[in-house]
Amino acid sequence: MPFAAAKPRKASRASSKQSTDTVPDTITLMVKDPWWLYAYWSIRPERERSVRSQLLPQEIEGLRIVLRVFDVTEAGARTFDIGVSSLATKWYVPVNTPGRRFRVELGLLTKSGRFLTLAKSNEVTTPRFGPSESDKDKWAVSDADYWRLFGVTAGFGAAADPQELKKLFERQLSSGGLSSPGVFSPGFSPGGAAVASKDFGLWVNTELILYGGTDPKAKVTVQGQAVALRPDGTFAMRFILPDGTQMLPVQAVSSDGTQTRGVALRVVRESSVGQSDSQGTVRPTKDASPKQTV
Amino acid sequence: MPSPSGYLLLVLHAHLPFVRHPEHDNFLEERWLFEAMTETYLPLLSRLNRLREENVPVKLAMSFSPTLLAMLGDPLLQARYLRYLDQTIELVSQETQRTRWTPTFHRLAWFYYHRLTEAKRLYLGTYRGDLIAAFRHLINAGTIEPLATCATHGFLPLLSQQPSAVRAQIRVGIQALQQAFDRKPAGFWLPECGFSAGQDALLADEGIRYTILDAHGVLFGSPRPRYGVYAPVACPNSGLVVFGRDLAASRSVWSPTEGYPGDPDYREFYRDLGFDLDHHYLKPFLGGDGVRTYTGIKYYRVTGPTTDKAPYDPDRALEKAAAHAGQFLLDRAGQVQALKSVTDRPPAILFPFDAELFGHWWFEGPDWLEILFRKAPSVVPDLAWTTPSEYLSLAAAPQVVDPAPSSWGLQGYNEVWLNGANDWIYRDLHAMTERMSALAAQEMKDPLKARAVAQMGRELLLAQSSDWPFILKNGTHTTYAYRRLQEHTERFYRLAESVERGVIDEKDLVDIENRDNLFPFLKPRDFVQAAHPASGRQRDRAVA
Repeated sequence: MPFAAAKPRKASRASSKQSTDTVPDTITLMVKDPWWLYAYWSIRPERERSVRSQLLPQEIEGLRIVLRVFDVTEAGARTFDIGVSSLATKWYVPVNTPGRRFRVELGLLTKSGRFLTLAKSNEVTTPRFGPSESDKDKWAVSDADYWRLFGVTAGFGAAADPQELKKLFERQLSSGGLSSPGVFSPGFSPGGAAVASKDFGLWVNTELILYGGTDPKAKVTVQGQAVALRPDGTFAMRFILPDGTQMLPVQAVSSDGTQTRGVALRVVRESSVGQSDSQGTVRPTKDASPKQTV
Repeated sequence: MPSPSGYLLLVLHAHLPFVRHPEHDNFLEERWLFEAMTETYLPLLSRLNRLREENVPVKLAMSFSPTLLAMLGDPLLQARYLRYLDQTIELVSQETQRTRWTPTFHRLAWFYYHRLTEAKRLYLGTYRGDLIAAFRHLINAGTIEPLATCATHGFLPLLSQQPSAVRAQIRVGIQALQQAFDRKPAGFWLPECGFSAGQDALLADEGIRYTILDAHGVLFGSPRPRYGVYAPVACPNSGLVVFGRDLAASRSVWSPTEGYPGDPDYREFYRDLGFDLDHHYLKPFLGGDGVRTYTGIKYYRVTGPTTDKAPYDPDRALEKAAAHAGQFLLDRAGQVQALKSVTDRPPAILFPFDAELFGHWWFEGPDWLEILFRKAPSVVPDLAWTTPSEYLSLAAAPQVVDPAPSSWGLQGYNEVWLNGANDWIYRDLHAMTERMSALAAQEMKDPLKARAVAQMGRELLLAQSSDWPFILKNGTHTTYAYRRLQEHTERFYRLAESVERGVIDEKDLVDIENRDNLFPFLKPRDFVQAAHPASGRQRDRAVA
């Protein structure tokens, strides 16, 4: 065994410990797609204690940890809270609006609505989704032409109805793009080929091993073809043995050509598919004919 | 000759993660490289050279990932490749004997024997073990326009929190390409077509002229692109030119359901001798730990949605590849025809693919490509092959459009590299970047310190590879991805602590340098937080 199996969990724990040492009280916001953000954070216990110490006694009950999401695209845009587990250090944040700019704050929210901030994030913008406004100048493009251009790349031609094309585009994106795997990822199946069979199966195959020995300097042929001898004069060959009869003439000629020895083997394989009993008697089933495999 | 009514732009993206394990004699994952060499890079090189020799018009753009270039130029991996090739040839020689009584398989065994001995002849004889030089030859001849890509295939939208991380991936990527091919690239391939706001300025700062996004990155640009994906656009501030991927052309090759590679006559990837034969017989040809794996010797065809596969017939598959190449060209001509009512410019149809799709996944892919170029002059005489740079030198000024953040990954955004299976890695990657920028900005008078900080940079870049979160999401080889993330993180922190304490263990440093020996040209300053105005402006925008 080349390596002790990696211990993934341990790896992540060890390194996040290192991160918390160097990056205190941060929350980082990232973009997943036009509708979802992702935040991860690390808050030192002393930071949380000092914030909690600002709480009034009656605020302890019903206290929640929340992510307060601020749409900062323009002044006065919406703000909303998402409750998170007190054990969580990361969260996927549904914002459901493409093309908007956001930041979040992690904090404590009291029953009466007071919000105490633990950490403030960076700002991110969700990707635009859908066509933008057209230019007015020489680059102007009509709605119909725009969707025709889309129709050609989506493989529907330019003749299809622009409205239909718009719907198709949205469907196509949500059904998954056209991404590729790398060379190293056997997750990709060109023909959807790796179909698991639901049936209980059995496959059986036979190989024939032929081996023997003679004088190391002799010339040996099997079925008329020369065979390489090992230094001690022995040889071995291995064949797929299909159904039918194989004739195997083996011949050895001494190095001076004066002596010849031969052995001929006849090997028969006969298979039938069906239900067999302990004596080897087979009751054939209807569709059964043995297939040729490697 | 009248000017063409449309342009065809083929882009191949060649990439493998850095997989080099000098500490072990026979390491399973190194086969990723060896398989790609036999099945993709060598067949591509020999076919492109053959087309050139026969004066067939052939032109394409190709990006080379720096990790792949580092492996192709590495003497240890070159020697191991030869050993792997010899082993596989030994296996197929045995197969030519073992299959003697089953003519269908006997013929296939010889088919592989000829292919593999030909690969060896090409590798040793024609290319003298130096595939970088072989590609350089095609680049200098004008057949291939080279594109740079990120140093370790970092997925930039998820590193963009820190422009210094993005810039280091870009800079080291460009340097690696220059080292390999002695020329400055005009184009830059964004890994997974991953784009977020601000990257355009960072690319333009490094002298890059164009990049390629998925279709919706251009179609959802603002304002609306007048020509859809059929003409490139220019970013508002940076001027970086952006080409959009044509979905229809991509899908015919790429799609798991409709794409050519799933045709019943093509070779089935998953049915491999490595899983079919008696373990005892196979063991000498497997990795060091003897675990069953792919040998590359496959006797069956796709057949259909069944586990009951029929034997592969190379001649029939080749005929199918020829038919599919013709169909592909006719479909492009159909697009150009359909666009006549919408645009007044000859459309540029750009279709990028992972290079390893051709040959490795889609066995007949290199044949298809060769036939595509052979057939084009007669099937689509008024379409012309070109490359992005050549197109830009001919085309009118592009429309100014701000492209939309996007990727070519599943769902079109960042989800493949940011989900429950892999999101935990970014906490570490971001923290490491911060520490790296701080240390890289320090005085570097002590050469040992400069070396240690440079090695930290290599470890950080290797940890940032998009391959690890991709593998974690996919669920195969996950142990290996965890292990690599753990190793690079651990080496990074070990070096960081030694630099900060001012006590660098040179023996340990040399050991790490010898293991992760890529990018010898890397400088700590590539990781410094930008202070100059152009990137300062970007810092705000890049967090998107």
